[in-house]
Amino acid sequence: MKNFEIQGLNFKFLVVYVLCSVLCALPFKAFPLTAEEVVKKSQEAFFYQGKDSKARVLMKLISKSGQERVRELTMLRKNYGASGGEQKYFMYFYQPVDVKDMTFMVYKYPAKDDDRWLFVPAINMVRRIAAQDKSSSFVGSDFTYEDVSGRDIEDDNHTLTKEEKLDAKDCYVIKSAPKAQDVDYAYKLSWIDKGTFLPLKEEYYDKKGELYKVFSADEIKDVKGFPTITKRAMKNLSSGHRTEVTYVKADYNIGIEDSLFSERFLKQPPKKWIE
Amino acid sequence: MKKFSLVHFSVEHPRLIVFLTIIITFAFLTQFPKVRTDTNPKNMLPATSDVRVWNDEVEKTFSLYEDMIVVGIVNEKGILNKDTLGKVHEITNEILKLKGVAARDVNSFPTITNVTAESGALKVAPLMAQVPETDGEIAALQKMLFENPLFINRIISKDGKTTAIYVPLEKGSNGKEIADEIKKILSKETGDEKYYVAGDPVARDTFGAEMFKLMAIFAPIAGGVMLLVRYLMFRDLFLSITLMMDAMISIVCSMGLLIGLGYPIHIMSSMAPVFLMAIATDSMHIFNEFYFRYREKKDKKTAIIETMRAVSRPVRNTALATAVGFGVLLFMNIIPVKVFGGLVAFGTIVLRILSFSFIPAMFTFVKDEQIEKIAHTEDIGSDKTSRFLQKLASIGTHSPKKTVIVGLVFFTIAIAGITKMKVNNNLVEWFKKDSDVRIADTVINRSLGGTSMAYVVATAQEDDFIKTPEAMRYIEGLQQHLEKLSVVGKTTSVVDYVKRINRVLHDDDPKYDVVPETKEMIGQYIFLFSMSAKPADLDNVVDYPFKRANIWVQLKTWDAQAMREVIKAMDKYKIAHPVTMEFKPSGIAYFNLVWNDEVLWDMVMGFILALIAVFAILAVDFRSVKWAVVGYTPLLFTILLIYGVVGFIGKDFDMPISVLSCLSLGMAVDFAIHFVSRLRQRMTETQGAEALSDALLWTAARPGKGIMRNAVLFAASFAVMMFAPLTPYITVGAFIVSMMMLSAVMTIIYLPALIMLLKGWLFKGGTR
Repeated sequence: MKNFEIQGLNFKFLVVYVLCSVLCALPFKAFPLTAEEVVKKSQEAFFYQGKDSKARVLMKLISKSGQERVRELTMLRKNYGASGGEQKYFMYFYQPVDVKDMTFMVYKYPAKDDDRWLFVPAINMVRRIAAQDKSSSFVGSDFTYEDVSGRDIEDDNHTLTKEEKLDAKDCYVIKSAPKAQDVDYAYKLSWIDKGTFLPLKEEYYDKKGELYKVFSADEIKDVKGFPTITKRAMKNLSSGHRTEVTYVKADYNIGIEDSLFSERFLKQPPKKWIE
Repeated sequence: MKKFSLVHFSVEHPRLIVFLTIIITFAFLTQFPKVRTDTNPKNMLPATSDVRVWNDEVEKTFSLYEDMIVVGIVNEKGILNKDTLGKVHEITNEILKLKGVAARDVNSFPTITNVTAESGALKVAPLMAQVPETDGEIAALQKMLFENPLFINRIISKDGKTTAIYVPLEKGSNGKEIADEIKKILSKETGDEKYYVAGDPVARDTFGAEMFKLMAIFAPIAGGVMLLVRYLMFRDLFLSITLMMDAMISIVCSMGLLIGLGYPIHIMSSMAPVFLMAIATDSMHIFNEFYFRYREKKDKKTAIIETMRAVSRPVRNTALATAVGFGVLLFMNIIPVKVFGGLVAFGTIVLRILSFSFIPAMFTFVKDEQIEKIAHTEDIGSDKTSRFLQKLASIGTHSPKKTVIVGLVFFTIAIAGITKMKVNNNLVEWFKKDSDVRIADTVINRSLGGTSMAYVVATAQEDDFIKTPEAMRYIEGLQQHLEKLSVVGKTTSVVDYVKRINRVLHDDDPKYDVVPETKEMIGQYIFLFSMSAKPADLDNVVDYPFKRANIWVQLKTWDAQAMREVIKAMDKYKIAHPVTMEFKPSGIAYFNLVWNDEVLWDMVMGFILALIAVFAILAVDFRSVKWAVVGYTPLLFTILLIYGVVGFIGKDFDMPISVLSCLSLGMAVDFAIHFVSRLRQRMTETQGAEALSDALLWTAARPGKGIMRNAVLFAASFAVMMFAPLTPYITVGAFIVSMMMLSAVMTIIYLPALIMLLKGWLFKGGTR
């Protein structure tokens, strides 16, 4: 078993290496990137790494006065199509203790409302959850669904406001202003690392023009050649509430079957994916 | 005899004294630019007080806001139409943009969380993200509203004519300023809708702003009236202005000291100038006597010295009594009460020093002819006022028994009235019935759950206990119990959310509108709810470890009494249904109850202490406990009578009234001191050559005129306050006017009666 994994890893590493070299070569093109291109690349690096992925996620929801709520889950994702395209998510909860065995599934479509299902073990029932605005909170945290699975590029007007260094890393600073008034913020500033295209920091400004929410990538690790944000935080400055997310484990290109994303497995998730 | 030399010195060096006085006053005046104000009643209690510590803890635990503005929107034709809903949508969006508004937690049609089952799917989303366009959409909205108990009486009235926008405020924002901004938004709207802005921060901050405006308008008007009345009494502008300056100097010095020491001006200390102006009228006695003496001696300096010799003792002692009456407040618990007491006591001492220096000095500047002219009218025999006073006094002097019996009858009635007195306080009722604040509050409280917010916090012994069906059912039962009270408009708790989810998960079957059977179900339902609702929805009603739950109790009135009822009902339920959870009240309504009670009882305690202290001073001053008892009687009587009337007319015994009791004591005792001192002085002067009844009549006519002038002056200036737009000021005005007149009349009629009746007891050697 162990042997196989190492072998697989080696092979995959090679593939990733090749891919990566191609990607790395891109910024050296003669003409500079447009704001849209930066955002597209950033989404690719942030939400669409690999064909699929698995992460054991620990979320700490911390109130202003320091009270904590914990969410612990395994998040499985599979891409259907290129960056910006369809994706399927499968989440299994370990914590809080009274929701153990609860599962949650999302079909994400570009330019269309998500489909979501939830399995409530206490009454052994799968319920479809109506999709609503994507800027609603993800499992009660300071992150929204969009923060977890990305926002359609076309929904915002993107402008490259400046390029500057953040923590000794060269960044593009992109201003994204939603075209419709469907979210809480008036605009967002993102510091996108020129090297990895991961967002290192995001600032959200409300309709009064005040900064009220800050995202930060606090730890970035290389996982199978994919730079992955393994620690991140979202802090709401007006409520004083914050959420800290740690990827305890992360993996890519693990061969998740299509059949996983079904009502049957929502009720009884395969052991291998939730260990 | 030190003071006496001060008078001599002042008369010999009047210019130096006036110059020094002005310099010192200016020194205090330089502190004025540093002035800070604080109108928040919260600061009546120190931040370390139990109730504030507990309320802060509750606010933190449940991410609550200290302050909330409620905007009521009424359309008599019903609000569920495209037009009105469009306005609600637009107004909400505008409010969200205001600075100081906690936008994330504003609750209104477009923002409030709605849990529904929609074509087989569970939906947790804002109720009205878009304004409905078609009749079908409006009908669907109507169905959602009236099927969800979380909405009824909160954002929609049962008759569908009223909705509300709940606007929580960030810490430290000014409720009146935000309310004004909201009113500006509302004023742009046209149509059938009527708008009302209510809530504690509106009432409180509007009151604060109005209060300062009133002090700025009414203090000068009161001063002006005093000036006018004085001029009419003495026909001498120069002396009237002198008296006015006397008051102003003491106000500047004491307020300067307060500001200089770094204290903010608080609701209570802002009343100090009016109090000092009132106390300053005591120097009237100096003027009164001066004119009489001048008529007798025809020499200004001699008249001044003799006047001061005659009145120094009563003036000094009334000052001492007043200073002590307010000074005892320094020993109370509540800081603004202490500051207020110290401030007025200090001002009183300044006034007295001025009486012995500045005023005699100013006398020397008056032209002799002028004094001659006025003094001419000051003659007991020919003066109408004096004759009238003599007549009054003769009632007591000649029929003492009847007078005392009539007094006893009044006394009994007064006691009956006092027993009827209700201790209550209502911040909103500090505004007049036709004021915006009060109308808004009345309208919203009539149709919705209520603008006054209280919380009942349940604390379990272990974490996660709130998720048990047992805890849920208990809280549900308590809510139902509280909702039976007429003052409670609505209660909301985590149980309501859980029941709602239970029902919605089971295809909106009303059978499932109950607490689920197992802890797992409850835990999972709450999690499900928290997955998509606003974080505040859950945070507001339950703490993180699920050890505590918060029941929101909306009250339909700001009466402190209402909160007392809630607490009583809560305790009763606990006794009838023992449980391992603890229940404690919290919230602004609870705070109002506590601070009102604390300030009120602090004032009552201060009052009792002052009564004792003043009695001691009287005893020392008269060198006789007996005379102190006699002098005390009219004072006590006046106070009893006024409170008796307060009880009979059904006015609540509230904070402003309790503050006044101290003033009444400090003022009313003055008259007795003057009367008794001068009577005894007269008797010594005449060496028993005059009958007691004649001495009494003389006292009533001469120092009695000073007493009457003092009372009239006082009453006239305070009568102005009866035209104020805030009821506490009207109360203060009416109270002082009646108190002054009553205690003056009491002194003139009742003291002679008592003295005649008790003469054998009072004069050991006997008298004629």
